Amino acid sequence: MNRRPADNPVAATVSALLIPFMQIYALYLIAHGDLGPGGGFQGGAIFAASLILRAIVFGLDREEERRLDNIAGLLAASGVLVYGGIGLLCMLRGGAFLEYPALPFADPKTAYHLGIYGIEIGVGLAVAGAMLLLFMKTAGSRDD
Amino acid sequence: MFEAAALAVLTAAAVTLSRALTGPSIYDRILAVNVMGTKTVALLALIGFVYERPHFLDIAIVYALINFIATIAFLRYRERGDLRI
Repeated sequence: MNRRPADNPVAATVSALLIPFMQIYALYLIAHGDLGPGGGFQGGAIFAASLILRAIVFGLDREEERRLDNIAGLLAASGVLVYGGIGLLCMLRGGAFLEYPALPFADPKTAYHLGIYGIEIGVGLAVAGAMLLLFMKTAGSRDD
Repeated sequence: MFEAAALAVLTAAAVTLSRALTGPSIYDRILAVNVMGTKTVALLALIGFVYERPHFLDIAIVYALINFIATIAFLRYRERGDLRI
């Protein structure tokens, strides 16, 4: 990870301490989206921001950049797939689009809770992927 | 007491904003924006206490994290002329 330690020791040290915390915090925000003020959008944004910070401070080599580009596109697409998939699953089970109690769980309350939870995960994936894609496409390497 | 603290933070933020607007060098402006973010974090925490909604602390942490990244990105852009990674 520490590819350019001499570049700026302060930024490198603080980032190395901060990045794992940011990623855990992003997962916390996504997981508590239905209870607190967080949610999929904020969690996804923080998760993408942690990877952007890593790219700014430590830099990426060509292989990492290519891989991150692929993963970002995959994340954004799979987030939309999760969101739309849950919505369409509700319709397949006889409800309206995103009518959570129609989901195949025993208790409608559980179905409601898990439905919102799945939606938050989908939003988080899509936002993280889209933010990473925006960063990679605007700040990518010189010979793009 | 929380209201008085919020007023103090707002006053400090106003002074900081004047530095961001008039600052002769770009580093004054970057530092002013960074301090402004710190004031926002303090103000969010105070609002959370005043309205007794501890969830505001979560938002404050988010703001602190984004603020740090913004400063790093500004300075890196200033140093190199681009953000190429």
